[in-house]
Amino acid sequence: MSRSQAALPGSVSATHIWKRYRPDSRRSVVQETLSAIRRRQRRRARWVLRDVELEVQPGEAVALIGLNGSGKSTLLKVLAGVTHPNAGQLDIGGRIGALIEVRSGIHPDLSGRENALFYGTVLGLSRRQVMDRFDDIVDFAELSGAIDRQVKFYSSGMQMRLGFSIAAFLEPDILLVDEALAVGDVGFQQRCLERMKDVLNQGTTLIFVSHDMAAVEAMCQRTVWLDDGVIRSDGPTADTLGRYRVGLEEKAALLARLLDDPVRMTQLSATSIDEALPETGRPLLLGLTLASEMSGPVDLCVGVSEGPATPIFTLTRSVDLRVGENDLRCTIENLPLPKGRYYVWLGAFGPGGSTQMPWHPAAPLDVEGPPRHPPPRGVMQLSPVHVTARWDARGSESTSFQREPTDGTAAALLSPR
Amino acid sequence: MTDLERVVTPGARLRTLITAEVSHNEQPADEWAYQRSLRPSRVLGDLWRARQIVRTITERNLRVRYKQSVLGFAWALLTPVGLLIVLTFVFGRVAGVDTGGIPYPLFAYIGLLPWAFFAAALNTGGSSIVSDKALLNKSQFPREVFPLSAVAVAGVDAGMALVPLVILFLVEQQAPAVTTALAIVPLLVLIAFTTGMTLALASIIVYLRDVRVVLPLLLQIGLFATPVAYGLELFPGWARLAYCFLNPVAPVIDSFRRTVLLGQAPQWDYLGAGAVTAAVVLVGGYALFKRLEGGMADVA
Repeated sequence: MSRSQAALPGSVSATHIWKRYRPDSRRSVVQETLSAIRRRQRRRARWVLRDVELEVQPGEAVALIGLNGSGKSTLLKVLAGVTHPNAGQLDIGGRIGALIEVRSGIHPDLSGRENALFYGTVLGLSRRQVMDRFDDIVDFAELSGAIDRQVKFYSSGMQMRLGFSIAAFLEPDILLVDEALAVGDVGFQQRCLERMKDVLNQGTTLIFVSHDMAAVEAMCQRTVWLDDGVIRSDGPTADTLGRYRVGLEEKAALLARLLDDPVRMTQLSATSIDEALPETGRPLLLGLTLASEMSGPVDLCVGVSEGPATPIFTLTRSVDLRVGENDLRCTIENLPLPKGRYYVWLGAFGPGGSTQMPWHPAAPLDVEGPPRHPPPRGVMQLSPVHVTARWDARGSESTSFQREPTDGTAAALLSPR
Repeated sequence: MTDLERVVTPGARLRTLITAEVSHNEQPADEWAYQRSLRPSRVLGDLWRARQIVRTITERNLRVRYKQSVLGFAWALLTPVGLLIVLTFVFGRVAGVDTGGIPYPLFAYIGLLPWAFFAAALNTGGSSIVSDKALLNKSQFPREVFPLSAVAVAGVDAGMALVPLVILFLVEQQAPAVTTALAIVPLLVLIAFTTGMTLALASIIVYLRDVRVVLPLLLQIGLFATPVAYGLELFPGWARLAYCFLNPVAPVIDSFRRTVLLGQAPQWDYLGAGAVTAAVVLVGGYALFKRLEGGMADVA
């Protein structure tokens, strides 16, 4: 019912959060209110957050995922105190550093130095505290030569780096990050993740909004899936991401059936040899039937993905289609995927790139086998691939290699000595 | 899922599927309604904690304004001095305003200073929230910081504009009267009134942008409807007190002239009338601002 500050530093407690925006943004608030009074009706509402509950412990790292418009950024803004909810109770402990729309708080006419001072004070630090961290900020943003130049002469990447460094080095109790990494180059992204990891190790709470599932997996043990303003899933990152991916792909697959393209997939089977379930490291047999309204050569692409539309690998083969049913078989020698749920994607493209069947998820693929090994925290793994490895380790006291027989997965442990 | 058949474009498909699943008829229970505390102690405490931010934003606005300009802060003098020249010509020479023996430029400039402060604060402060949207959308400090910074910037400008006043005194070979110390009273009234008006305007303009467009015109009219170029005596005696209630800037200017130029005390009844209005506007404006504050980030 209110916003209180009594909570433990770094903890977030949000209960029954409801937030609505005006249904028609074309008219002014005043006009809208007047017409509502005239017609004596309740104003229509467009709820962007509906009864959202979020409890975060100090030091926890939580990711928020969801499609565009699902309310992630709005929830972040409510937590940051930028906007007020219509209903609910908020208990936020300590100082909040919000990285929302990174560049927007940076004033183009001021120099990098002036911006750092300005933004630092706005986030609630004294000038002295900002100056103490100033060198770190400049170093991290790689702006040592440009810090006294006006920000409007910075490249967009430089502005982004400045914005991120300022927020990341001001040591808030809670750090809210909204799609901050989307602009930087690969090297800077990795350093941002490293920095966030350091911040987490210092005991800061992190709430992280991203569409980049690899980044989510790298940073957060816990993930919340927001779907049209409602929490669909809240739990360990692997579980939530799994549900989210399946949800996305099922929706996309459902839509794909409505398509009336020249070539359609009517049947798809995925098995190991002897009709067994697909398994890591064993052959995978894909049998598919295509109904075609055209005849001629097409490039048939088959891919396997774990997230929407970005496959782990693709295979392309030119095939001659006849009008009617076409049966095709594809054998993958050693399935390089660890245990998990994947999706088979299909697409057919005619000569000159014309789309005969759009790239779409065709069927789920469940793989049995050894579990995957998560990468270390702060490191992004693009897609899970199963690699057979053997480790040899030699400690300083022993003279010979300790050979560890492995189960065939990449991350067999060194034997402790 | 009945919505699906209607969908044609590929991009719209996914969205429609998802929106088809949920209804927006639900409402939060009434007892969960979010209420902010607007107790004066809480509000003023929050503002006190944000005082550094007022200072920082004021500094930023001052810095930003004259970047890329050659004359820099000297421009702050341009408006009052330019206006002074026009007023001196039109009212001093052509209309021949009775100043009670004071050289007209001094008389007019003492009137111009408070008015320029008031007008500048309203002009920039009124749209301060709308124009600082970027910061508004990512910060949680009390929103009155923006209009208050605008008032502070106008105050700095007014301080700069004291330099021509000193020059005028030298040119006219006159010194400020001893009673100048009393000018602190009308100054406080002016600051209170200006702050209240700026707060009220800033919050209204967020929701009603039309005001921003008419504001320059209103201020232009106000310049001539206020005894800036002429004396308060121009109003008939019976209407003066009522007028001072309506426009607190009038008794403020009159008091400045009396204390600084004539060596008299302010006319306390008129200044008191202005002070009452100023106090009401300050409290009312602040209360209105705090009321409207909640939705600002969503509308601005």
